[in-house]
Amino acid sequence: MSAVANAAEQLLNGVTLGMVYVLLAAGLSIIFGVMDVINFSHGELFALGAYFALSLVDPLGANLGFPVALVVAPLAVGVVGVAIERFTVRPLYGRNPLYHILLTFGLVLIINDVIRFTWGQQQQQLAVPAVLSQPVGAFGVRVAVYNLFMIAIAALLAAGTWLALNRTRYGMVVRAGSQDREMVRNVGIDIDRYYTLVFGFGAALAAVGGIVLGGYQNVNPNMGGSVIIPAFIIVVLGGLGSFRGAVFGGLLVGVVQTLTRTYLPVLEGLTVFLLMIAVLLLKPQGLFGNPEWGGGGDEEGELLVGAYGGVFAAGTRRRLGVLAVAGLAVFPVVATVTDNGFYVTLANTMLVWALFALSLDFVMGSAGLVSLGHAMFFGVGAYAGALALLHLAPSFLVALLAAVLVPAALAWVVGSLSIRVSGVYFAMITLAFAELVYSAVFKVEFTGGSDGLLGFDALLGLAGVGPRLSEIELTVAGVTVGSSVVFYYVALALAVGTLLVARRFMNAPFGSVLQSIGESDERAAFVGYDVTRYKRRAFVISGAIAGLAGGLLAVNPDTFVISPDQTLHWINSGEVIVMTLLGGMGTLFGPMIGAGVFIGAEDILSSHTEQWRMIIGAVFVVFVLFVPRGLVSVPALLARRLGSDEGDPPLGVEDREVNADD
Amino acid sequence: MHEPEGRLSETRSHTRRRFLALAGAAGAVGLAGCGGDGGDSGNGDSGGDGGGSDGGDGDGGDTDDDGGSTDGSPSDLGSVTVGVVNPITGAYSSLGPGQRNGAKLAVSQINDSDEYDLELDAVYEDTGTEAGAAQQSAQKVVQEDGAQYLFGAISSSVALSLNEFAAQEEFIYFPGGAAVPITGQACNEWVFRVETNTAQVAEAISAYTVNNLGSNVWFHIADYAYGDSVYNRTKSRMQAANDDFTEVGKTASELGSSNFGSFITQIGNSEADAAILGMTGGDLINFVNQAAEEGLKDQVALVGPTMSFLVVRGATKGNAVGTFGGVRYTAALDTGDNGQFVDAFNSEYDATPDNFERVGYDSLRLIAKGMQEAGSTDPADARDALAGGTFTTVLGDVTLREGDHQATNPTWMSEMVAGDGELAAVDLLEKTEGEEALPPASELGCEMG
Amino acid sequence: MTDGTGATGTREGPVLETAGLTKQFGELLAVDSVDLAVERGEFRSVIGPNGAGKTTLFNCITGAMTPTSGTVRFDGEDVTDLPPHERVRRGLGRSFQITNIFGGLTVRENVRLAAQSVLDDDMTVREEMLRDKETFDHINDRTTGVLEQVGLADRAEELAETLAYGDQRRLEIGIVLATDPELVLLDEPTAGMSSEETRATIDLIEDVLADRTLMLIEHDIDLVMEVSDRVTVLTRGEVLATGDPAEIAADEDVREAYLGGVRA
Repeated sequence: MSAVANAAEQLLNGVTLGMVYVLLAAGLSIIFGVMDVINFSHGELFALGAYFALSLVDPLGANLGFPVALVVAPLAVGVVGVAIERFTVRPLYGRNPLYHILLTFGLVLIINDVIRFTWGQQQQQLAVPAVLSQPVGAFGVRVAVYNLFMIAIAALLAAGTWLALNRTRYGMVVRAGSQDREMVRNVGIDIDRYYTLVFGFGAALAAVGGIVLGGYQNVNPNMGGSVIIPAFIIVVLGGLGSFRGAVFGGLLVGVVQTLTRTYLPVLEGLTVFLLMIAVLLLKPQGLFGNPEWGGGGDEEGELLVGAYGGVFAAGTRRRLGVLAVAGLAVFPVVATVTDNGFYVTLANTMLVWALFALSLDFVMGSAGLVSLGHAMFFGVGAYAGALALLHLAPSFLVALLAAVLVPAALAWVVGSLSIRVSGVYFAMITLAFAELVYSAVFKVEFTGGSDGLLGFDALLGLAGVGPRLSEIELTVAGVTVGSSVVFYYVALALAVGTLLVARRFMNAPFGSVLQSIGESDERAAFVGYDVTRYKRRAFVISGAIAGLAGGLLAVNPDTFVISPDQTLHWINSGEVIVMTLLGGMGTLFGPMIGAGVFIGAEDILSSHTEQWRMIIGAVFVVFVLFVPRGLVSVPALLARRLGSDEGDPPLGVEDREVNADD
Repeated sequence: MHEPEGRLSETRSHTRRRFLALAGAAGAVGLAGCGGDGGDSGNGDSGGDGGGSDGGDGDGGDTDDDGGSTDGSPSDLGSVTVGVVNPITGAYSSLGPGQRNGAKLAVSQINDSDEYDLELDAVYEDTGTEAGAAQQSAQKVVQEDGAQYLFGAISSSVALSLNEFAAQEEFIYFPGGAAVPITGQACNEWVFRVETNTAQVAEAISAYTVNNLGSNVWFHIADYAYGDSVYNRTKSRMQAANDDFTEVGKTASELGSSNFGSFITQIGNSEADAAILGMTGGDLINFVNQAAEEGLKDQVALVGPTMSFLVVRGATKGNAVGTFGGVRYTAALDTGDNGQFVDAFNSEYDATPDNFERVGYDSLRLIAKGMQEAGSTDPADARDALAGGTFTTVLGDVTLREGDHQATNPTWMSEMVAGDGELAAVDLLEKTEGEEALPPASELGCEMG
Repeated sequence: MTDGTGATGTREGPVLETAGLTKQFGELLAVDSVDLAVERGEFRSVIGPNGAGKTTLFNCITGAMTPTSGTVRFDGEDVTDLPPHERVRRGLGRSFQITNIFGGLTVRENVRLAAQSVLDDDMTVREEMLRDKETFDHINDRTTGVLEQVGLADRAEELAETLAYGDQRRLEIGIVLATDPELVLLDEPTAGMSSEETRATIDLIEDVLADRTLMLIEHDIDLVMEVSDRVTVLTRGEVLATGDPAEIAADEDVREAYLGGVRA
């Protein structure tokens, strides 16, 4: 076998993979370009295509069923896509793409649970016609017929889509709409109708991808989750909204991934992210992107920050805060006396995530920096804390110090690079950095790889003196208090303390500048602020707080392992955004409540039903549609409903005041 | 395995929050008539409910004597809460339900049987997608439900963290994972493993491969703890078995990869006679399907330690025919009381059990047998009874050996051959007896005090 | 320029000078070798048909865009490569064609932020991070003063986005004023206003910014002729003519290329 033939086969492998990516990314990119929707559920629609096909191939057999499925299943998924757009996405147009993250995150949970419930958990085989599943060879190059089939199908669809976009009136309108929506409306075209079809069409394209790939590997409930990140990378790499970019990006990523595996295996899993970071830094709107899309931080639709107090006067608010802290302070006593120790453990998890959510809100709710990679600071904090316990000193203070400093330094580096792009691109570049860290953890020894770090234990003191946190048992007034309770108070003090300091920051000149940046980058620069410097400083503080949360996770006596998926997986970044929005962005305390509610709901629901993910997903959808300002706005909403029927007061009259006072 | 849930009594529904037990202590004790005076474990509240809901599984053909427990026939040891935590979501979600079903079958048999002087009150939780969630679930069953016996988990990260949890809280834990360190470097006195570990399977496949399939071997692994451990074990066993052994090449893919084209090409273009596939689940399935389409099976013998798994054969169908695999368990075995297990499982779930079902089944049975033998529900007593004890399982008589608490399961080498239906059948080629399959505890890194 | 006396320059010579200033977008020369010299205290208007490059010229002067070639000198100093915020701190303020205020913040906070930006030099990091922003007296004084000057004192606690359009434009002028600029670039401050509102706004500008150097982009030619000291006419990125209003009105080229085209 010559090296040339080998390389040719590898290239063909790369193109095959790339073409599947093209199918997936094309729809995602058009959907974003035309309607500014970051569609996390695209991967689930991709999986749904494969499952619909499965249901057709099973009774009809591979030879008849597969071709039928290739036509029918995408149409069915297209219908699902149309329904999703019509009933959930449409009410959100004009709002910041952030809300689409929450919405489509909810849809992911719902669709995924439907899949599990309907088709089961097992991997299944999607049978393909016999003619396709055999190898052929020519000039010393062996290749599976199916690979060629995949390339052909994808190429056909890509060409068809290109023609539809460029040669039909319909396509012209869609393209015009992606450039300037208002203009299209002004000439009297009902663009909403086009949106629905674009969404349906994008979903159908993804479904074809799912079927074709399903025949190549297997069909399983996790297949959607495994393709969505590469798909986003491709879309951003090519340029959001650019069809050409999606095609080029898909092929590029497919080929680069494949060739890296063969010729540079050390970098597997890293090259694609490095590529994306490099492209964004050199050409912030992607290879084929239109600079008007997503790049400008000012025209991203409205960010609805949480109601700050709403119905309560400042004094009442302070009293409520004190009351809440007092309640939290006596909680473990009650739990211990009633023998409900587990709830202290659960509350500890809530406190850790509350801090994590606070860290995100610090940059997202004020300066409008939507970081999709915040898990990197949380995870690095957790690892730094655990490593400090293992190798430096088994003191929780040392661990927390490491957990704050290392992520803060990382945030400085990541922030300095990422802040050069804004809006959706900022979200994506932070995601890429986070994925880079996640992949790197598997590649080095000292992190323990996929198993993670085990066998660390914190002492409640400095430099090796002091009791082991996990062995503390105090007897206070006849009640034995365990290590979880001790940790609870440490975590509570840190959470409340951090919240108070964060509020001080927000009410100081520094915070006021952050808020002005969140309102308008450009205006802030033209009243004389160095926007980059403020953003970077905020990002470093945020990274440090996220790291502190991670560090707390590590010193928690109930934590036995720090592993990659637990801390660094992108799902954690997604969840913390969800918590922040759920609680009420821009209020600092709202996201903390959101974190507690999220974790509590998860725990309660998962004990009662296996379909709990679907319920949580539905809650997100309802929230983003009806309670966009989060839980903290609920009292105001209720008061409004229960009170007079004056209708909604003008936007934000009493509830857009972000931290203006306490 | 259709609709695995709901056919056996849904035990989760009758566990109580402990504050309920406390708040209405008198009422709860009154309810728990069947707990008897021996119900000293503090969980007497659930025994009565357990008996009651057993009546709900009337369609289970072999459990027609469940009247016995509803009568409240006295059991000396009372009711014992057992936590069963399995991956119902996440990367191992295709295996978790099987593990749980095996455990459920054991629970219902034990509770219906007169052989045991105790009843198991099982509490089920999902270990979720990652170690943090798994830990939370385990904490819940231990701290909230009061379980002092825990079974479950598949991923090595989760199992290792539960190892530590068990040691700290001093409860008995039967892990489901196969990674060597669980009863190796990370072993402790509270952990007992019924699952066959990677080293035991490596013993079965290594010598056979290098002596019969060819001495030029390629290793392809998924880049995580399990893959590394397959590589290390099989390589060293092959070196020992045959001087001609040559490692032709080694490649690693990220865990959860979906496309193996470039690796398949590399292996196909090499001098390899055989390829050891150190991966499992979706990774292995995708590899085998893609390898079959590219014709790699005809060029190289594909050997996977988990190739014989039902989930793998189910999702590869004909593509698996002609590949080789290690066997931890297959329903066709005539070892121990496997016949009875397969029949019971079949009538309960209308499905054939596989390795994870077996592990669930025997883990729960050994938990019960440990207490039975000790005559006590105290975990420390059960631990002493289990350590070094020999028990009848579906794999025959196995010992939870003293040095590391690893079950001395036999293992097999097999070839996947065309079966009656779409699924490939497992043709056993060679058996490695339990004592031979398991390397010494010291070699596996266990230093138990 | 942070001592609150920025209105009167200390140096001799023009406050703003551009030399060969050029901005190219692909094939298009939006600004083509523009040489300008604006004297201290001058009221300069820039006029020209749509697409003549007026806003691009402003963007190059204020730092929103980097020119392809040429230099910008402000107060004798080369500021071509300085970012916008540095220019603001040197005394170069601007307003925007499309209203650009902090809509979600109060009117007062809008002005306060602008005042804070030029008065924060002696602020320690500790103060900047931790001290309540409302407790800096010199910033508050400036804020209150500006709010009174632009007539928004009694609406100070309202959210800026709830103001009427004309008030928002006033606020924008207030924001600029609060940064105490020596030179103010006003990009169509009266865009979208009725003629009375336009009049009132120009009066306000003449009133509160009277002692500053002003550069104005404005379409209302009559108004321009009335208020300007000098007028620069831009077509296709090039300076067609510069002179006092009378000269411009009399200039044949201007009449033909611009005034004639629009008004005939």
